Amino acid sequence: MPSSVQDPDHDQSMVDAQQETAQPDYPELEEKRILVLPGATETAASFQFEGEGHTLGNALRYAIMKNPDVEFCGYTIPHPSESKMNLRIQTYDTTTAVEALEKGLDSLMDLCDVVTDKFTTARDGYNASAADQMTN
Amino acid sequence: MAPLIPSQEELERRRIVGINAETVTNMSSTDFPGHWPGEDHAWDLNKFRDGFQVEFHRNDRFEAAFSLIGLDAAIANAFRRIMMAEIPTLAIEYVFVHNNTSVIQDEVLAARLGLIPLKGSVEGINWMRWFKKPTEDDPEGGSSPADYNTIVLHLSVECTKNPNAAPGEQDPRKLYHNAHVYARDIAFNAVGRQEQYFVDDEAIQPVNPDILVAKLRPDQKIEIEMHCIKGIGADHAKFSPVATASYRLMPDIKILRPILGDDAKKFAKCFPKGVIGLEKVTSQEAAQKGSGYEGHAGDIKAVVRDAFNDTVSRECLRHEEFEGKVKLGRIRDHFIFNVESTGQFESDVLFLESVKLLKLKCARWKRGLTDLMR
Amino acid sequence: MSREAYQVPNLGAQNAFGDGMGAGSMESPAVSYLCGECNSRVSLKRGDQIRCKECGHRVLYKERTKRMVQFEAR
Repeated sequence: MPSSVQDPDHDQSMVDAQQETAQPDYPELEEKRILVLPGATETAASFQFEGEGHTLGNALRYAIMKNPDVEFCGYTIPHPSESKMNLRIQTYDTTTAVEALEKGLDSLMDLCDVVTDKFTTARDGYNASAADQMTN
Repeated sequence: MAPLIPSQEELERRRIVGINAETVTNMSSTDFPGHWPGEDHAWDLNKFRDGFQVEFHRNDRFEAAFSLIGLDAAIANAFRRIMMAEIPTLAIEYVFVHNNTSVIQDEVLAARLGLIPLKGSVEGINWMRWFKKPTEDDPEGGSSPADYNTIVLHLSVECTKNPNAAPGEQDPRKLYHNAHVYARDIAFNAVGRQEQYFVDDEAIQPVNPDILVAKLRPDQKIEIEMHCIKGIGADHAKFSPVATASYRLMPDIKILRPILGDDAKKFAKCFPKGVIGLEKVTSQEAAQKGSGYEGHAGDIKAVVRDAFNDTVSRECLRHEEFEGKVKLGRIRDHFIFNVESTGQFESDVLFLESVKLLKLKCARWKRGLTDLMR
Repeated sequence: MSREAYQVPNLGAQNAFGDGMGAGSMESPAVSYLCGECNSRVSLKRGDQIRCKECGHRVLYKERTKRMVQFEAR
C-alpha cells in the first residue's frame, strides 16, 4: 500500500545542507537500561536487557560461566516478538550477581581486543605472503 | 591444592564432536569451572591469548575465508550474527513514484529497488548518520532528510522505438531504446557535504550495474526519486553488508585400523577429492607386529591427507567394510569462517567491524550497569 | 466468493451502456482513457460507447494518476 499520496509538485527534497544544525540522531547510542527483575538477592538476580538477543546473550552467558564464583548462569528470550533478553546469574557468597555481570562484560571486551589483534596480524601476514607470491 | 591438569589425550578427546551414522556425541562445551572436578577452567586472558589462533585461507576483496581456532561457539556465533544483522549499510528505503507506466507495479518495483546493493566511499558512509523514522507513538519524532542522513537517487527512463533497427528484428533491446532498465540507470547527485565524500569512483552507485530492474515497451516510462538511509540487517535484509557469513567446524577423520587395497580406493571415493590419499605400505610398517600391515608391504593404504575440504557426508559409514575402521568428527573450537561481502565493505574489514561492535555493545551495557548501581 | 453467492446484477434497470440516458449524462466531464490496442487517447463522457475512436478496440484503460505516490522499499 502506498503510504501517502502527495501533490505532484510536493517537494520532498532535502533540507539545505547549510541550515542543518539539528542534533545528530544516534538511535544506537541511546541510553541503555538494565532492569533487575523482581525477586533478586545479592547473589542471585535476573537482569533484563532491552534490544538484545542471542548474539550478546549467549556470548555473555559463556563469559559469565567462565567465572568460578558463579554457580549458575543462563539466558532466555521470553518471547520472540519482544526484543528483550533475560539473563539469570546465581553466584556463590564470594561475589555478587552484579559483580559477576560486570566481570563477564569485562572479559568479553578483553577477548575482543585479543581477537582483533590476532586477526589483524594473521591478515597482514597472509596479504604480505600473497603479495610475495605475485611478484615472484 | 594445585588444580588437576587433564592429560593431552583427554583434552584432545574433549575437543572432538563425534559424528556417527545417525547420531552426534559430545556436542556441548565442558570447559567451565565446576564441570570437571578439580580442574581449573576459569577465564584467563593470557591462556586465551596463547590458545587462540587465526589462519587465513583466502582474502579477496569481497570474499574471505579464515579459521578461528581456540574460541567457544558462543563467541564465534556472536561475530557471525553481528556481521549479518548489526553492521549498518546503505539501502534504498523510500521510493517516490512520479510516473510508472511499465507493467511492473509500483510496490513491486519499490521492493526490487530496495534490494539493490549499493556502494560508495566508506569514509562517507561512516560519516553519515542514522535517519530516525517516525514511530506510531511519536509521529513527529522522525528526522528530516538532510545531507548527513539521506542519499537521493533518481531513476528516469523512457522507452522509445529505435528507428535504425534492422527490418525483421526480434530482439526488444535492439528494436527499442531502453527496453531494459538496469541498476546502472540509477543516477546519484551529491548534495551538500556529500560532494566531499562521494566523488567519481567513490560515488554512490549499485555494486552490480547489470541488475535488471524492469522491462519497458515504447511509450512506457519510469520516473522515480529514491531516498537511501543507513540501516541494519536486523531491520531488513537489504541492509545486511554480507551476502553470506557462515562458519563450519573443521572436520576430523581418524582411520583406526588399516584400510588396504581396493577398499582403500573405495574409501577415498567416499570423500571429496583430495581428502583421502592413497599411499604404499612401507616395509617398515609391514614389519611392525600388531600394526595390521603385516604381510602387506607394497599394498595401497588409505591416509587422511586434508580433512579441511571434507563435507562430512558420512558416506563412508554406510559401507560394512569400513565398520570400526574409521571415526568421523569435528573439532569443537576450530571455526572455518566464510565471509562474502555484498560490495560495500571489504570482507576482512567486516569481521573486524563485528568484533568492534561486540566490544561496543559490552561497553554500552557496562555503562548501563553503572547507572543501575548509582 | 462462491459461485452460489454471486448475484447477477439487474441489467434491465440500470444499463450504463445504453444510449437512452437522462439529462445528467450531458453535464458529466470527459475522462480520458488509453486504448488497449493502439495506445491512443480516448476521451469519453458518461454514456459514450466504450470503443477506441481510432481502431475500434473495445478495451480501454484508465490513465495513471498524475500524483506522486510514496512507497517503502520493503
